Amino acid sequence: MTGAHGPGTSAATPDPARRGTSRRRFLGGAAIGAAGLAAGAAAGVGLASAEAAPPVTAGQLAAQREAQTVPFYGTRQAGITTPQQERLMFAALDVTSTDVQDVQRLLGRWAALAARFTAGRPVSDSPGNPDAPPFDTGEAMDSGPYSLTITVGFGASLFDDRFGLADRRPAALAPLGTIPGDAVMKPAITGGDLCIQACADDPQVVFHAIRNMVRAARGTAVLRWSQLGFGRASATGAGQTTPRNLFGFRDGTNNIHADDTGGLDQHVWVSGSDQRWMDDGSYLVARKIRMEIESWDTDDLADQQRIFGRRKDTGAPLTGGTEFTPIDFHRTGADGVPVIDPHSHVRLASPEANGGVRLLRRGYNYTDGQDPDTGKLAAGLFFLSYQRDPHAQFKVLQTRLGKSDLMNEYIAHIGGGVWACPPGVRQAGDWFGRSLFD
Amino acid sequence: MTRARLSRRATALGAAVLATAVLSTACGTSTGAGASSAATSAGSSAGSSAGGAAGSSAGAASSAAAGSGSRVTVTITDAQGCAVSPDTVPAGQVTFDLRNVDATGVTELELVAAQRILGERENLTPGFDSTFSVRVDGGAYQIYCPGAATERVPFTVTGKAAESTGDIAELLQQAAVEYAGYVDDQVSFLQVPVRQLADAVKAGDLAAARAAYARARPFYERIEPVAESFPDLDPAIDLRVGDVEAGTEWTGFHPIEQALFVKKTTKGLGPLADKLVADVKKLQTLTGQLSTATKADDGKGYAPFEIANGASGLLEEVLKSKITGEEEAYSRIDLLDFEANVEGSQQAFATLEPALNRIDPTLVPQITQRFQALTTVLDTYRDPKALGGWTPYQDLSSADKKKLTDALLAVQEPLSAIAGKITA
Repeated sequence: MTGAHGPGTSAATPDPARRGTSRRRFLGGAAIGAAGLAAGAAAGVGLASAEAAPPVTAGQLAAQREAQTVPFYGTRQAGITTPQQERLMFAALDVTSTDVQDVQRLLGRWAALAARFTAGRPVSDSPGNPDAPPFDTGEAMDSGPYSLTITVGFGASLFDDRFGLADRRPAALAPLGTIPGDAVMKPAITGGDLCIQACADDPQVVFHAIRNMVRAARGTAVLRWSQLGFGRASATGAGQTTPRNLFGFRDGTNNIHADDTGGLDQHVWVSGSDQRWMDDGSYLVARKIRMEIESWDTDDLADQQRIFGRRKDTGAPLTGGTEFTPIDFHRTGADGVPVIDPHSHVRLASPEANGGVRLLRRGYNYTDGQDPDTGKLAAGLFFLSYQRDPHAQFKVLQTRLGKSDLMNEYIAHIGGGVWACPPGVRQAGDWFGRSLFD
Repeated sequence: MTRARLSRRATALGAAVLATAVLSTACGTSTGAGASSAATSAGSSAGSSAGGAAGSSAGAASSAAAGSGSRVTVTITDAQGCAVSPDTVPAGQVTFDLRNVDATGVTELELVAAQRILGERENLTPGFDSTFSVRVDGGAYQIYCPGAATERVPFTVTGKAAESTGDIAELLQQAAVEYAGYVDDQVSFLQVPVRQLADAVKAGDLAAARAAYARARPFYERIEPVAESFPDLDPAIDLRVGDVEAGTEWTGFHPIEQALFVKKTTKGLGPLADKLVADVKKLQTLTGQLSTATKADDGKGYAPFEIANGASGLLEEVLKSKITGEEEAYSRIDLLDFEANVEGSQQAFATLEPALNRIDPTLVPQITQRFQALTTVLDTYRDPKALGGWTPYQDLSSADKKKLTDALLAVQEPLSAIAGKITA
């Protein structure tokens, strides 16, 4: 809910008309949920242009969607600007070994596993020994990669005195300190020495990736906490439709998209950092934001729309137009009251209100089922954001939102963390954050 | 345990098969490969070789050969699989320098003769170097890199080794005999507190009955996979109420536990206690037979791979019913069982150590160290004042249980792989 909600006035904002065209084209042709993905693939992942493809059946589309791959090796990690996949599993781990070589080997093993899983391959091609546990756990055995991406990050705690990395911690990874609204953050689901973000268009594929990577870590690192996201709550690919959050609203309409290279360089990718190993990396800020679902459901529509600053049905700003119409923050009603409430989410999170600050959102709707203590639905937004500097971006936005966002009545930040996601793994034999250890 | 890893049928069958394999390795004329590892440093130089040229240590190989045996470089690439240089060495000490250049699907390498692993290195990671060292007799071997483009590469050792330092098959037979002795001891120790339990319930002494119950449990839990290999006996002794089939009588430890700790009475427990005495006696007879067979090495006793599976199975037991606090639902002495399972696992593993040390000398210290880390965590919950000597399970927080689980999983992962090393 935090983030780059701003109106479409900045030069970096995608052209609404073009987005509209592209959406119609794919909805017309495919008529199923793969539309956004196909558009994203054409625009961002370097696959054959969907424009050139002949009409395809739903079965073919499903098969294409399953076979879709996102390249793993590269200058920058995938899973940040990659058109956002439908499913997430996120894991935070704590290192239990005190030997830095164990950590390095683990990051090497993870790189090898990630390279294979993102290509739809198992841990090993060998069937293994019948008297030993199989190399691969097997639940993704007959499945394609479904655009799987695996993104790894390092928490501030990794840079304590255990591994001799204290002087390699970037300034941007310094603890954020207390931000308004953080009162109920639970330590058990906050932080972690390492994190893995696995995103794909299939839930079993992301689970398989995390499960096997956690297994590979046994003896070196342990799972601290994890989160499943059942549906994407942002759009990062050019032409991807804006999904709805569990409040029923389109959220993150003015996110930074993959084709906005200027915006990405300005707001997302690290360059010229005080720690050169982070160049071409990005900082992940995650927040598990619980929604007071039951209370929200009793709030009247007008109030819900006042809180967001947008219409619930179309996503258009309350000042009129369509979803991508720029918001007129100055307009007042007949009574002289601003149409967009001064404390509405869209206004407080807008770049206009925050000195141009934006970040890339990549959140997922989550549910943990029912809260066993209270009986309420345990659900909300697993907010994921990428940026150059969490202090200058997330903290600035969230300080403002945490203080006075009308939405605060219906949400609580209960967990999360900040991780430095190093540059990409260049080729086999390279590994996550290798430059950190050089 | 729901899955009886050490089932009797498997014991008889498996041991026969294994014995054959062992004999063909030990006495086979074609390969005749015996091997033992000398000191293995298993050093790794992290990050020095990502995508870099391999085989740079070829020059070092000849010079090393003059001093402390031969040096062999194994280069593992995605395109070519395993490449071994040189592929022929004289008998004696051989050090393998392993370099995984870019083979993402290869995690281990084994030196194999006649389906037996004579040496190995795990955790091969692209971009990292590893090493291991074994003493080998003359014969035909294979370098086996599971998952590589070329998985098996022939490797030849000429001549005889300068000295022979025993044989893995012999060490495994010793392990089985040792383990049989351990089981015999535990089952014989079990008899006493179970009889005391029967006496106490008949005397109506609730406190004494509870104490005897807590004294008896660990002896059973330490050898639980063996007990479970007798499919009629284990349910009679150790079934929990939820597992009792309709129309079947609930007998053994747990109905007694329920009466002593929930109903807080000894009333009417006499027949149940007498049956338990008879059943653990029967257990002693059956394990005694297994023990005799093991010592006779007649193929009907404990097979080494079953001991390995039992070690791992005991930890599965902990994860399944102890960490969840389901085993001792009434007495809450779950941590006592927890510790007994771990000890039984550790003891089973210990009998296999000499053989495992030959195969992969890095493995034993790793597993031993992780067992130690586990018992260190466990020890923080000792409570001399509590029944059984451990903090009652309901007093553990979720954070406590997570700490125990994490330490347990760290052992279980490498431990679960040892059965495959001593059989394949």
